Amino acid sequence: MKKLSDLLGRFFGGIDEGLKEASVSLIEKELEETENVFALLTMGFLSGIPSPPTGLVLRLLPYMQREIYVMMLRSKNLDDVFAETAGTFDID
Amino acid sequence: MKTYFFLGKGGVGKTTIAASFGVGISIEKRSVLVVSLDPAHNLGDAFNLPLSNKIKKISDNLSAVEVDIEKMIKEYLNELAYKMKNTYRYLTTFNLDRYFDILRHSPGIEEYAVLEAIKRFIRLKEFDTIVFDTPPTGITIRVFAMPKLSLLWTDRLIKMRRRILDRRKMVENVKGRFEAKIEEETVVLTSDEKEDDVMNELVRYRSEMEELRNFFSSEDTIVDVVTMPEELALFETKRISESLSEFKIKLRTIFLNKVIQCKKPPEGIKGKIKEQEEVLKKMGEEFRGTQIKEIPLLEHSPRGIEELKELYNNYLI
Amino acid sequence: MTALLAIIGGAIYIIGYMVYGKRLEKEVVKADPNRPTPAVKLRDNVDYMPANKFVLYGHHFASIAGAGPIVGPALAVVWGWLPSILWIWFGNLFIGSVHDYLALMASVRYDGKSVQWISGKLMTPKTKYAFELFVYFALLLVIAAFMNVFGGLAAADPKIATASILFIIVAMIEGYIMYRTKMSFSAASIIGVILLVLAIVLGFQFPFIKIANIKTWYVIQFVYVIIAASLPVWILLQPRDYLNAYILWFGLIIGAIAALIAFRGFTWPAFTVFSPNLISGQPSPFWPTVPLIIACGALSGFHSIVASGTSSKQLDNELSGLLVGYGGMFTEGFLSTIVVLSIAAFGMTVLKEAGGDMAKLASPALIGKYGAGQIGATVGKVGIFTHSFGKLVNVIGIPEKLGVTFGGLWVSAFVLTTLDTSNRLARFAWGEIWEPVKKTSEGFYKFIANKWVGSIIAAALGMLIVWGGTLGSLWPGFAGANQMLASIAMITAAVWVRNVQKAKKAWQYAVLIPALFLWITVTVALIWYLFVAVPAIKAATTKYPVAIFTIIMIILNFILIGDFFSAFRKGPKPEAEVK
Repeated sequence: MKKLSDLLGRFFGGIDEGLKEASVSLIEKELEETENVFALLTMGFLSGIPSPPTGLVLRLLPYMQREIYVMMLRSKNLDDVFAETAGTFDID
Repeated sequence: MKTYFFLGKGGVGKTTIAASFGVGISIEKRSVLVVSLDPAHNLGDAFNLPLSNKIKKISDNLSAVEVDIEKMIKEYLNELAYKMKNTYRYLTTFNLDRYFDILRHSPGIEEYAVLEAIKRFIRLKEFDTIVFDTPPTGITIRVFAMPKLSLLWTDRLIKMRRRILDRRKMVENVKGRFEAKIEEETVVLTSDEKEDDVMNELVRYRSEMEELRNFFSSEDTIVDVVTMPEELALFETKRISESLSEFKIKLRTIFLNKVIQCKKPPEGIKGKIKEQEEVLKKMGEEFRGTQIKEIPLLEHSPRGIEELKELYNNYLI
Repeated sequence: MTALLAIIGGAIYIIGYMVYGKRLEKEVVKADPNRPTPAVKLRDNVDYMPANKFVLYGHHFASIAGAGPIVGPALAVVWGWLPSILWIWFGNLFIGSVHDYLALMASVRYDGKSVQWISGKLMTPKTKYAFELFVYFALLLVIAAFMNVFGGLAAADPKIATASILFIIVAMIEGYIMYRTKMSFSAASIIGVILLVLAIVLGFQFPFIKIANIKTWYVIQFVYVIIAASLPVWILLQPRDYLNAYILWFGLIIGAIAALIAFRGFTWPAFTVFSPNLISGQPSPFWPTVPLIIACGALSGFHSIVASGTSSKQLDNELSGLLVGYGGMFTEGFLSTIVVLSIAAFGMTVLKEAGGDMAKLASPALIGKYGAGQIGATVGKVGIFTHSFGKLVNVIGIPEKLGVTFGGLWVSAFVLTTLDTSNRLARFAWGEIWEPVKKTSEGFYKFIANKWVGSIIAAALGMLIVWGGTLGSLWPGFAGANQMLASIAMITAAVWVRNVQKAKKAWQYAVLIPALFLWITVTVALIWYLFVAVPAIKAATTKYPVAIFTIIMIILNFILIGDFFSAFRKGPKPEAEVK
């Protein structure tokens, strides 16, 4: 009996998790992109794009762990951005 | 507190004038600090005293200091590296040190350090007057520009940050608190403006910049230019004035230094004197709202407190 | 009959999964449960995150299922239900699901990189650029074809039009309560579903949006697309996408249940003629043109994008891939099966009740000749499904007309969502395509890559193409592009299987033969389309753009096969393997 309720728990838990994922997947993608851009803007000095005054950069950097992390990951996948974007928008 | 900024090209006598001015006001029973922000420190030479990074009391009302900008930059970067190493262990795999090298030489790092130095000194309560001998004009103008520029950037970043926090909140409403796993650490990513470190820093920085902007434009901040009666110097002074007005900073006085006053000029410098007169005339026309004080080319450059005092009394009042 | 065929269909898919699928897993993919997937190996909790395989299956299926698996088969019944169902079963089993599964697994082996990226590595870099170009054309054709689908539905039936518009409002409300309030997820979801039902019922009871002119609907959709695609995703697109999944599962489940207990005989002929008048009203030979009609239920290139774009990065274990990729496509095939079954059982009755000229439908041969026309003139090419579906679910007690409205909303919900996403993606692709111009004329690039310009151009081009077109002439254009994408993916998979996987000869052929068959079929189909169907298109604004796209696609297709043969002949090369 316990095994059954356990199984059901996992089954419905899985559905719940799946539904939650489905309800925010696009928003999460947008969030990542914005975090990425935030990091790129702040750390523009690395890639030669216009960046904020150095003072601002120095003050923000210690708190931008997450954003820098996302930026590093994103930059690894830059050669496949088109497919990734296409995959997010389900078209059929 | 009154603050004086002396701008000018190298060689015009900016440091001498600034030092002289400092000496002069200190006589009027004000507690004065003269600060040299110019990496090519000449302040000690002007006072004929050895100066250092520590404030040195010269007389009852007068102190002086030569700021070591390079050292400041190093300190800031080390502090940043320390703060970041604790939270960015994994970034060492990306060679964090390289990034600091880039930062060390990035445009704006000097301006940042100068601005921080200015902020530090104007907070000192024991002085009611600070006289700044500024770095080369280019840097100084950029320093004055910094608050406006920073505000533009900060506003933009605040807007973007709000959007990030807003979207995080949406995800939070569905999935609960947003926990990100970065390497082995679990970090809670907040959606609350008050809890977000980045937002707090942005807001803090913003108010600091606003304060500075108001400070630079205030009546108690007096910006003067030291220049020479030559055509190129005139053009530069014009440019400085235009830049300053962009940031709503008024140019109070132009100290026209090394004016050749010669009753019977020899042939060789007659041309120079003519140029001088033209410049003087143009200057009078172009800078109507600004006071112009002429200081003649002296036989020898003033050195030491007494000579600086004399210079002040004769020409700067 | 319905029950019988539903069971046979289900059985074929299940047996196919257990027998053929498992062999593919073992011999071709060589799935190793001990080899960490990118979701595990590269886990960053941003893009790479292992997901429970059932959750991923559900998500993947909802992503790949759209209006395609419904509209295609609904058009295909003109060949008779049997050929349609055979293609849906066996085309899916040997080509479509293989395509989806291999795209997924190849991507898994390449650290979650997309099939385009892989094709660039295994064949030539220009294959990758060709992919992007294809996708852009495909998107324009999607916009055009789908505008027609929704336009046709909305113009013909105010109930569907009203329900669809109400659904937009429902989605926006759902977006607000789910993302902006602290209401619990379950509560917000339940409210969403209730509002959804309300939208259907209200649309059904008070069909106040009565616009009968399809061209007006084109303009309305044009405006809708531009606005919707410019909104932040949380306002409309995300909640829509979410609620669509409920519609999908509900429709599929009640459709399946109804099919199983309906015990209805088929009044629709099993087989009409080999070349009924279908595409652009021209006699369309079953081979090679069936892929131009039944795309998604049997095979769809867009799936490879979803599979390798997102799903591969979330696969928890190599053994889960079969369920997600192969199983997901089977489920879509099953959905298409239900579509065909419902028309097979009720289509004739629907046509009779809708005032069709039964004299013209008296024999299979006549249906071949006049069927498409009759359908178009009475209930509409998608309407034949919605009305049949209404009758089907009536069997389990749902009022017929309500079922029709539900069926209509099912299609339109996915259509309107796809229009939104297609426009967004087209905007992105547009910017990428013009990238080379950046160096020569930055000002021009800035203008052309501006998001509004990109959005308006894509929507406008779509509207231009659809303006004078009919579904019979537009759908094959979209499907053709779709099948071409599948071709590229299938061929890349074939190269992968041979050069990298080094599967046994027999299994190499198991992938190669369908890939080549697909390529030949699609190429011949596109050439047929270009020379027979396109000239028959009356509207110049439809004819010429479609013709140009088709020509470009055919050329790209030949370049592709050239690249393929040289890659195939070169044989296994060490650099092709994953580092």
